[in-house]
Order: sequence, then C-alpha cells, then structure tokens
Amino acid sequence: MTFVKGQGMLDVRGLKKVYEGSGRRVEAVRDLTFTVDAGELVCLVGPSGCGKTTLLKCMGGLLTPTAGEVLLQGERVTGPPPGMAFVFQEYGRSLFPWMRVGENVELPLKQKGLSRSRRRELVADALRSVGLADAAGAYPWQLSGGMQQRVAIARALAYEPQVLLMDEPFAAVDAQTRADLEDLVRGLWRERGITILFVTHDIDEAVYLGERVVVLSASPTVVQEQLKVDLPDDRDQLHTRVAPRFAELRTHVYEQIQAAKRGTPRDAPEDAVKTDAPPPA
Amino acid sequence: MRRFLLRLVFVLTLPAILLAVWWAASDSSTDVYWPPLRTILKTFPDVWTVERLRTDAVPSILRLSAGYATAALVGVALGTVIGSYRRVRAVCEPVLEFLRAVPPPVLVPVIMLFAGIGHTMKILVIAIGCVWPILLNTVEGVRAVDSVMAETARSYGVTGLARLRHVVLPSASPQIFAGLRQALSIGIILMVISEMFAASNGLGFTVVQFQRGFAIPDMWTGILVLGLLGFLLSVVFQLVERRVLGWYHGLRATTRRSR
Repeated sequence: MTFVKGQGMLDVRGLKKVYEGSGRRVEAVRDLTFTVDAGELVCLVGPSGCGKTTLLKCMGGLLTPTAGEVLLQGERVTGPPPGMAFVFQEYGRSLFPWMRVGENVELPLKQKGLSRSRRRELVADALRSVGLADAAGAYPWQLSGGMQQRVAIARALAYEPQVLLMDEPFAAVDAQTRADLEDLVRGLWRERGITILFVTHDIDEAVYLGERVVVLSASPTVVQEQLKVDLPDDRDQLHTRVAPRFAELRTHVYEQIQAAKRGTPRDAPEDAVKTDAPPPA
Repeated sequence: MRRFLLRLVFVLTLPAILLAVWWAASDSSTDVYWPPLRTILKTFPDVWTVERLRTDAVPSILRLSAGYATAALVGVALGTVIGSYRRVRAVCEPVLEFLRAVPPPVLVPVIMLFAGIGHTMKILVIAIGCVWPILLNTVEGVRAVDSVMAETARSYGVTGLARLRHVVLPSASPQIFAGLRQALSIGIILMVISEMFAASNGLGFTVVQFQRGFAIPDMWTGILVLGLLGFLLSVVFQLVERRVLGWYHGLRATTRRSR
C-alpha cells in the first residue's frame, strides 16, 4: 500500500466506548474524531479520568470500540497492528522481570520472525539510541525507574513501528528524569520520523512536546479543542519553557481543560444517549 | 570464607545439640523400643550397605521421581489450561477442591484394586497425591498474570505458544514452585506409605520389615535414612529453585529495599 506523507496516518472516526458490567453502564468515550498525520507528534491532554487510556487502548487494538473506528494507514484496526508500538505508564509491570533488558527488547522481534542477526542489530541500535547500550545484560528491576522506561521505549523503537502510542509514559518518574525523557522522545521523533501519539495529563509536557495538542473533555469524552503548537522545532527545557509563546499556549490549554472540567464542552453533541454521568451544567 | 564458616556453624548448631540430647537421654536406656542412639549409629553401617541402598533406596527414589515428575507435568499442564479459561475454571474448581480434600493415603487400597501391587500402583499413588498442590498453585499463578504484562504481550504480537512460554509460565513460576515444594514432601510421605501396604523392596518396606522382625535399632536407622533423604531432596530442590527463580528473588529484594 502506497502512502503519501501528510495524509492521515491514524484516523479516529466517531469513536465511542461504553463499558457495561454488573448493571452499571459507563460511557467512557462518547464521540471522538481526529486525525494524526504521518510523522506528526500529537499530544492528547484532558482532565484526569477522561478516558485517555481507553481511547489509546482502542487505537492500539487492545479494546474494541462500541462504535466508530480507528484506521491505521486507511486500514481498520481490529487487533494490535504490527505497525504500532505501545509504551505504557507502568514500566515496572510492562517489562518482563524474568528477562534481561536485551531479551525484553528482542522478544517482539522474535515474534515478527526476524533473523537473529537482524534482531541483534535492532536491539543494539534501539538500546544505543535511548542511551542504554551497556544495560542489555541487566534485569529491568536492577535499573532506576527512568531507565526502565527507556528500556520500554527501546523495545518500542526496535519494533520499527509507524506509529508509537505512549500512555502517560512519564507520569511515574521524578521531574528531572522526566525532563530528560521528554527530550529523548523529541530527539527520537525528529531523528526517526515516526508518528507519535503521546497521552499525558501534564499541560506543560503536552505543549513542550507536541506539534499539535488535542484537548479532550471530561468523561464522556469528546474533542474539546485542537491546537497547533507554533513553537520552533528546536526546543530545550531551558529556553522553550520560558518563551512567551509557550506561556500563552499553556495558559490556553489550561483554560480549555478547566472548561472541560466544569463540563462546558464547546461542541459536544446533545444527543439522547443515556448515561450515568451528570448532564452538562 | 569466614562468612561461609560462620553460616556452617549456624546451620549445624541446632542439629548437633539435638543429637547430643538424644544421645544423652537414650544412653542408659534399656527399653527395647527406645534403644540408645549409640546402638542405632553402630547398627547403621551394617544395615545400610551399598547392596541394600541399591535394592531398597534406589527403587524408592526411582518410584518417587517417576510419580513426582508425572504429577509436575500433569499439574502444570492442566493448571495452565484451567487457569487460562474462566469457564473451565468455573466448572472444575468445586471438583478440584473436593478431590484435593481426599487424603491421598486412603487411595492406596483403591488403586491397588486396579493397578495391582507393582510399581504402577506406587507411582500412581505418589502422582495422585502430588498433583493437587502443583495443579492448584499453577491455576492461581496463571490466573494472576499481571494485566499490564498481558496487554504488553498482546500489543507486541506475543500470542499463543510464545505467550505461554515467555509470559504466562515465567510469570506463574513462583507459584508453581511453591506447589512443587509442597508436593515434594507429600511425595516422600506417599512413597513410604505405598511401600508399607504392599511391596517387596523400598525404604518404607524395609522399615516395616525391621519392625515386624523386632530389629528395633535397624528400624530406627531406616527412619534416619528417610529423614536424610528428605533433607537431601529439599536441598536439591532449593538449588534448582534458586537458579530458576533467581529473577524473582532479585526483584523481591529490590522492592523490599525501595520501600
């Protein structure tokens, strides 16, 4: 399948997810439509508990949406597609503690049926690009939290995905490590040209990292706003974060999220879906 | 080296004291059933010759190994299936709980009826007794695979046999080993019991033979041999476990430290 850059790499159309169980019906995601272009780095922010993880799992083929669809390069996602890699928030539970770092990175490649030499090449390259070239023989639990998340990122890179889905990957590491990891992700994105969808609840992080920020409403989730981040491509923790434009953008996103929390979605359809959630004020 | 010696002292102190107490308490004993330890130890080399070890200890150990291995294989295989599917579990669990509650020695007469009194009967008895802790622990272990790990495996296309081999079984292995450990002591007990019922050789058979022939010191040496065998097997088990579950002990030590 040929693919033209600039077209939708990832299309989310009318996505809806309702959890049903034990007499309770929870509408986590109501109606989401947005597109991620090839080679774009898009950040999704929203108030906590707004169904970000649900959305990402639907996109990654880990959950089946109740309605709507997710298209990867025009093809409907029905299960985890080989062109997508996932980085989870809980690195400690996402890396296999019985495997050494190198084996963790290599396992998905074995499943892909790659040759041993190719696997070795990819593992070494991925570990090098996250700055862990020497850690292949260690067990994940011998590493710090930030390093473990680097391993998870290396595993995703070695998988050679077109799209990288990251679910609040840095929520559990300390602030300094976090800054380093943010720069790592931006560096890798610019270097490798992969499409990244980055979910976070941190507004600064979203503005700092993203080319575009998609603000989600409170649950049941719709798109509150999409915002282009017109900061220069070269960003660094020191200067970008004190730039006036950065402050404007983050203030704007912050206001949007506050509005979302108060439950005044700008474009939420007032349809007749029955929910347990209180009606918008 | 000094630490090793110190540990050795720690390990040996209590057994030495117990033996000394036994020695002192039984030294002047004239009771036929309670011979002095001195007598028992003197009898030991006469009874447990290489020839006797070959004819009695080796068959016992072979039967134990066969029964234990069968139980391990069946227990892990069935446990994995039951643990993986909620429906199967719902159907099987009450039955399993009942079967587990039946004391295995009571099965010896029953199994004798259809398996005779040969090796098959004894191996079967050991296997049937050992399988429950292995099976039930495997079910629990397989069930408890972390949700994030399961999702990670799925999102990276690790499914089917690879998932079983690289994710499910390693993740369940600490539980499986807990079951294997319980099963080992049950296995030794059943090895002895099955030989007491009907056998022509074996450690359990020998102990009963001595008792019936009023060779009381000899009987006591048999009990000592059984104790030593159990101890030896548990040491071997620990060595294997430390190797296989090295990651688990390391992980636990790290989590403990960070808390």
